[in-house]
Amino acid sequence: MGWELASFSPDLLGEAAVEGAEVEIVPPGSPVRVTHVLDAVEPRIRSDGRAAFPAEGAGEGRTNRLDGVVVLSCLDFPGEERPLHEQESIVDLGGPGASLTPFADMTAVVLTFSPGEGGHVEVDKRSRRATLAFAEELSRPTLDAEPVEVELFQLGPADASLPAVAALIQVSDLGPLYIQYVYGVPAGEAGLPRALDPAEVLDGAVTCGEYHWAAMRNPTWFFQRNQLIRTLYREHGKTLRFAGVVLMRGYEQSAADKQRGAERAAGVAGELGADGVVITTDAGGNSHTDVMLTCRACEEAGIRTTVVLAEETDPLSTKPILTDWVREADSIVSTGNVEELVDAWTPARVLGGDLLLDGTAAKEAGLIPVRNYLGAANQMGQLALSARTE
Amino acid sequence: MKAVHYLNQFFAGLGGEDKAETPPTRLDGAVGPGRGLQAELHGVQIVATLACGDDYFAEHEDEALARLLDMLAALAPDVLVAGPAFGSGRYGYACARLAAAAAERGIPAVAAMHEDNPGVGEAGAAYVVPTAVNVAGMRDALPRLGALASALASGRELGSAEEEGYLVRGYRRNYMAERTGAERAVELLLAKLGGETRTEVGGDMDRVEPPRPVGDLSSALVALVTEAGCVPQGNPDHLQSVRAQGWFRYDLGGADTLASGRYESVHGGFDVTLANEDPNRLVPLDTVRGLERAGRVGRVHESLYTTTGNGTPVVVATKFGQEIAGELRDAGVQAVLLSGT
Repeated sequence: MGWELASFSPDLLGEAAVEGAEVEIVPPGSPVRVTHVLDAVEPRIRSDGRAAFPAEGAGEGRTNRLDGVVVLSCLDFPGEERPLHEQESIVDLGGPGASLTPFADMTAVVLTFSPGEGGHVEVDKRSRRATLAFAEELSRPTLDAEPVEVELFQLGPADASLPAVAALIQVSDLGPLYIQYVYGVPAGEAGLPRALDPAEVLDGAVTCGEYHWAAMRNPTWFFQRNQLIRTLYREHGKTLRFAGVVLMRGYEQSAADKQRGAERAAGVAGELGADGVVITTDAGGNSHTDVMLTCRACEEAGIRTTVVLAEETDPLSTKPILTDWVREADSIVSTGNVEELVDAWTPARVLGGDLLLDGTAAKEAGLIPVRNYLGAANQMGQLALSARTE
Repeated sequence: MKAVHYLNQFFAGLGGEDKAETPPTRLDGAVGPGRGLQAELHGVQIVATLACGDDYFAEHEDEALARLLDMLAALAPDVLVAGPAFGSGRYGYACARLAAAAAERGIPAVAAMHEDNPGVGEAGAAYVVPTAVNVAGMRDALPRLGALASALASGRELGSAEEEGYLVRGYRRNYMAERTGAERAVELLLAKLGGETRTEVGGDMDRVEPPRPVGDLSSALVALVTEAGCVPQGNPDHLQSVRAQGWFRYDLGGADTLASGRYESVHGGFDVTLANEDPNRLVPLDTVRGLERAGRVGRVHESLYTTTGNGTPVVVATKFGQEIAGELRDAGVQAVLLSGT
C-alpha cells in the first residue's frame, strides 16, 4: 500500500472513547463475512484542502474519489443501558449474501473499533469521525494522481415542457444510534425539510449514524453514490427536468409534527416547481408513517408521487406487508422483503466480531434474514433487489 | 430433456366413467392431448404418460399417489405436466396433488385447469396454468402449457406469474430486478405523470377498520392493553425489546397510577427516557382511574396486557391480538384502551 496510516491514527483514535481500530484490507470477492458494520464510506478528498465531509459548502469544486474501494466501520458497542439499540449488520463479501451488497466487488478496508470509556454516544461520535477522516486519508495519494475519469454534476437548461421531478429524501433522527447527519448536524436539528443542491448530497453533505434494521439503512456510501440523484441527473433534459432534492426528517416525534413535517416537505417540493416527486425512506417503523403522510400531502398539493419502500412480509403471507399505507400511495417501488431468509454460508474468515449480537457464531450463523444485511433492501433504490407475487 | 404427462382415464383413451376405477397405469410416449402438447414443447420429449381413473385416485389417494410417484421416480423426468383438467373437479384434484407431490420431491411440475377448479388450491409449490372451463379450450391451453413446461424443464428461473402465464400462488418472493429501485421509481413516476399509474406493491393491504363506538362507557368494563413494552420495573418475565415472543398480563392491584420506578418500558423502537419518567404516558392508568371515579367509565379491568410492538411479524401480532382478545372476552371486558407507540 502506498500510503502512511501512521500520521492518522494518534490524533483520531487516541481518545478515551475509542481505544483503537484494527485495519484489514480485503480484496474483492473474498470469502469474508463482516459483522457489526456501522457505516460504509467511499474514500474521498478535496484538492482545495477543504474537508471531504464538510460543515458547509459541499457540491462545489473538485472532489477526488477512490473508485472500487469502500471503508467499512465495525463496532460492537459496550453492553451498557441505552435507549436505542443498534441491530446486527452484516456485509458478506462472498457467498449468497454477496448479491445483496454493492461492496462485494470492491476492495474493502475494514476498520474494527475497540470501544473505550465514555458511553455509547461518545463512542459512536468518535468512531464516526474517525471513519470519515480515515476515508479521507485513504484517498490522499489521489492528490498527486491523474484521474481515470472525471464526472461533472451540473444542471443545464432543460425543455420547459418536460415534467419537473424532485427527490424527497428522508433522513432519520430517532435519537442516539439512530441518527443521520446533514453537514454533521443531526437531521432533527438541521432545519429540515429543506432543499439542497443535488450535488451537495453526492459530495458528502449527508452521513450516516443510523444503526436500526441493517437492510433498511442508507449508509454514507449510498448518499455519495446515490442512484436516484444520478438517475435524475442523467434523465435531466431527456425525459424530465431535475427540480432538486428536498431532505426531510424521518421519525418526527409527535402526530402533529409528523403532519406538519409532511406538509412542509410538500411545500418545499412545490417551491421547487415539482410536478412529481420520488419519496425515499430510511429505516423502519414510524419513519414509514412520515413517508406516507408526505405522500398524501404531496398528492393533495397536486404533486404526483412514487414511494420507495421495503416490504416486511412474513414468508407465509400471501399479501405484501408494509408498516403503514395511505390510499394515495398508488405507485410504490418495492426494494425487497426484509423477512426473507438468505441461504447459509460458511465464510473462511469473519471480521468485525466473531459473535453476532444475538450470540450465535458469525461463521456458522445458518440462515440469515435479509433484514440483517447492510443496505440490502435500502429504500433509496440504490440496488436492484425487489419482491413480487409468484 | 424428458417430460412425463399425467392424464385421467378418459383423456388417456382408456374409457369413460365406466373406467374411472382404473388404477395407475404407465403408457409409452405421448397419448391423447399429449400429442398436441408434444408439438408445443421445445427441446423436451414426452417419454411416458401416466394415467389413473378419477374415482380410483379419489378413493385410494395415498396408494395411487405412491404408485404414481414410484413410476415418476423411475422415469426421472425434467418436468411433470398434468392435465389440462379444465373444470373437472376430480381430475383437477388428482393433477394438482400429483404435481404438488412431484414439486415437493424436486421434480418441476405444472398442472393446467380452470382457475375455479378446486384443484388449484391443492397444487402447493407446483405451477398451475389457467385454462377454459371445458375441453373447447384445449387448443388455447396447450401452447401456454407447453411454453411453461419447456421453461421448467430447462431449469431457467421463472419470471412473475404475469410474465410466465401461471396462476399467482400468492407468495411474495425477492428477486433481482434488471434495474435499480431508483431507476424503476423514476420510470413509475414519469408513467404516472403521463396518466398511467403502476405499482410494485398492490393496494390490497390488510386494513383494520375502526370498531363502532362503545355504547355506554359509564357501565362498561374497560381494559388497558398496550404494545409499548410497559412492564413492572426490572422486567421480571424478560419481555423482549424487539420481535417479542409473547405477551404478558399484569395485575394492577388496584393501583391508581403507573408510578415511575414501579413500571418501565423495555421497548427497543423508541427512546424510552421520557416515558419512564411517567409510565402513565404509555398506559394512561391515572386518567382512566379519574374517569372511573367520575363515573364516566364503569370499571377498570384488574389486569394490564402488554407486549412489545417492534419488528413483530404481522402473523405473530395477529396471534397475540386474538389470544388477548379471547381472555378479555371471557372476562366480560366490553371496551379496550389500546395504546400504541
